[in-house]
Amino acid sequence: MSYVYVENLVKKYGDLTAVDHISFTVEKEEIFGLLGPNGAGKSTTLNVITTLTDFNKGEVIINGLDIRKDKSQIKQIIGMVPQDIAIYNHLSAYENVKFFASLYGLRGSRLRKNVLEALEFVGLSDKIKEKPKNMSGGMRRRLNIACGIAHDPRLIVLDEPTVGVDTQSREHILNSIRQLRDRGATVIYTSHYMQEVEEICDRIAIIDKGKMIALGTERELVSMVTDVKSIYVETRIPAGFDREAFCKKLKLMPGVKAVKAEDAVIRVDVSIEQNGTERIIQEFLNHRLPIDNIKSEVPNLDTLFLTLTGRELR
Amino acid sequence: MMLEIILKEVREFLRDKTNLFFFMVFPVIMVYLLGNLLSNYDNAEEAIGTLTVHYMIEASDPADVMAVESFVQNLTDQENIIFEKTGSLDLSMEMAGRDEIDAVVLFTGSPMEIHIYEGMNRIRNRSVNAMMNGFSQINKAVKVLAKNNPMALADAANTGDSGSGFIEQKDLGIKRTMVDYYSITMLTMLSFTSLMIGSICFIGERQDRTIRRLKIAPVSQVKLFLAKILGLMPQAIMQTTLMMVLNTVLFKARYASNLIDNLYLFFMFFLITFAVISIGAVYGLFVNINPMATIFPVIWIMMFLSGTYSKGIFIDGVTQLMPIYQVQEAAFDLALFGNYEKANTVVLVCAVTSIVMLVVGAAEFRRREER
Repeated sequence: MSYVYVENLVKKYGDLTAVDHISFTVEKEEIFGLLGPNGAGKSTTLNVITTLTDFNKGEVIINGLDIRKDKSQIKQIIGMVPQDIAIYNHLSAYENVKFFASLYGLRGSRLRKNVLEALEFVGLSDKIKEKPKNMSGGMRRRLNIACGIAHDPRLIVLDEPTVGVDTQSREHILNSIRQLRDRGATVIYTSHYMQEVEEICDRIAIIDKGKMIALGTERELVSMVTDVKSIYVETRIPAGFDREAFCKKLKLMPGVKAVKAEDAVIRVDVSIEQNGTERIIQEFLNHRLPIDNIKSEVPNLDTLFLTLTGRELR
Repeated sequence: MMLEIILKEVREFLRDKTNLFFFMVFPVIMVYLLGNLLSNYDNAEEAIGTLTVHYMIEASDPADVMAVESFVQNLTDQENIIFEKTGSLDLSMEMAGRDEIDAVVLFTGSPMEIHIYEGMNRIRNRSVNAMMNGFSQINKAVKVLAKNNPMALADAANTGDSGSGFIEQKDLGIKRTMVDYYSITMLTMLSFTSLMIGSICFIGERQDRTIRRLKIAPVSQVKLFLAKILGLMPQAIMQTTLMMVLNTVLFKARYASNLIDNLYLFFMFFLITFAVISIGAVYGLFVNINPMATIFPVIWIMMFLSGTYSKGIFIDGVTQLMPIYQVQEAAFDLALFGNYEKANTVVLVCAVTSIVMLVVGAAEFRRREER
């Protein structure tokens, strides 16, 4: 059975349906992404999974435990990294992590070991005595993560953990999430940064206005819209060169769907599966056509979101 | 888990410089400033003069009669107390009503009861009460306080009751000053301003966004709520202790005349602080607005009307309604006269309030969803 099983989840706040019949599963040791614009229902879904919010309808089972019947057991295995930095400003980094870990029953040497490991994991082992108010935004974000993972949870829920951080800290955070998965944790990750989700998630669910509009691997999702990428090659065609014949030749190559020439630019639509970029470039060179510029246009989740909703993701 | 939360609360309190100033330093400074710099503007003393009391013995037990006679003899030996035996209780009560004598005391029944018919001056009434209180405690008599003249109560209010605790207790050998007055009223202020600590304990968790982390932890919500409140108890103890010790050591302020009364005074203020913190905590659960902008001004107005900042402030019909005034009254009664009656009422009310608030708060915290 899947590690997380969500079936027909409905959560209403008065007249507003924040989550509308959402269903998905998350496998063990998987990084599962919830992607959607602000207000799509991602955080509400996470609040239900983390037992913070009750729901109106549906079923949520985590590690074989029913969230309504076995709440306390489920709480024990969940680690939450909230979207807002949730730490105490008057406590040091060490004291913050220690306090939250102690709520999960850790004591004595095991508590100390886990706290130090968590701080080392997020790259703050040299800042254990530092107060959050003296830390940079990125470091505070990392401390926020340490507070959510120090008790060694099996299911880690990260709600937009990279909001407002610099590139270096962002990379550190994304690498940390991969490492958590490699260490055996199951991760649910939300973001409205498409690239991040594409980069680290094994599977992705796209949510909009409380409803799930797509679910699958990145490739599966993109292929829902198109399986073709466009390669634009800018060249200088010598006098007497038979451009039409060259284009016909390109079109006969495996995976090439269409070829179009406009002035000095030749556009080749090629199947993503075949990924024939190298062969196409080689073909240009074989015909002594110089390549002044080349660019590739790959459809992404943004394209998918735009296609499905008529709006951009952000 | 409880210990971890308590330690966390204490650490946060002690590291927050604003908290330390407002709950530790500020009240002590206020005692110094109000007690010394403004002492010329307030009359700290009221001379009792000579007390004239009529008494009648109707007790049947010879031992009781002997005890009363001996007690009266001892008091009469003092120059400023006149005890006269009366033949007509009604006549003496009329005299008390006309302010010709200060009180009438009837020793009656077995076990002996002491009936006090108070006169017009409340400050003198207190003195008589204090004397009879001491006697009844020694002789295990039942004291019954009767108001033979309803006007006496109104009159008592008009005498400026907020300062009535500040009579010169020559029999106790203590000369009271304004520092003594403010050391008690500022203790009251400190207890009531603890509402901030209580409300911030949950509003602060929300502001820091940490409340969600707490709520998803595998800890009973009721336990969590109680641990948070109990975590504030060391602060209540610290601030009350520090206030009483600093005022005594630095400014030579005097609270009660003996250790037991002082300990009870401390206990009473601790319980008041606990009750106020509990109210604040429940407020913080329901309302997400900083109490500094909402109920805090109301408390300051109540303190002003209760004579917390000046014993001269007393508005008849308003001041008596203020809980802060009632607390101060209880504290003065205990500190000056060793009278536990009002203090016991305050303790009881605070205990009941605390329990109700803890039950309501725990239920609300358990029910509440943090969005």
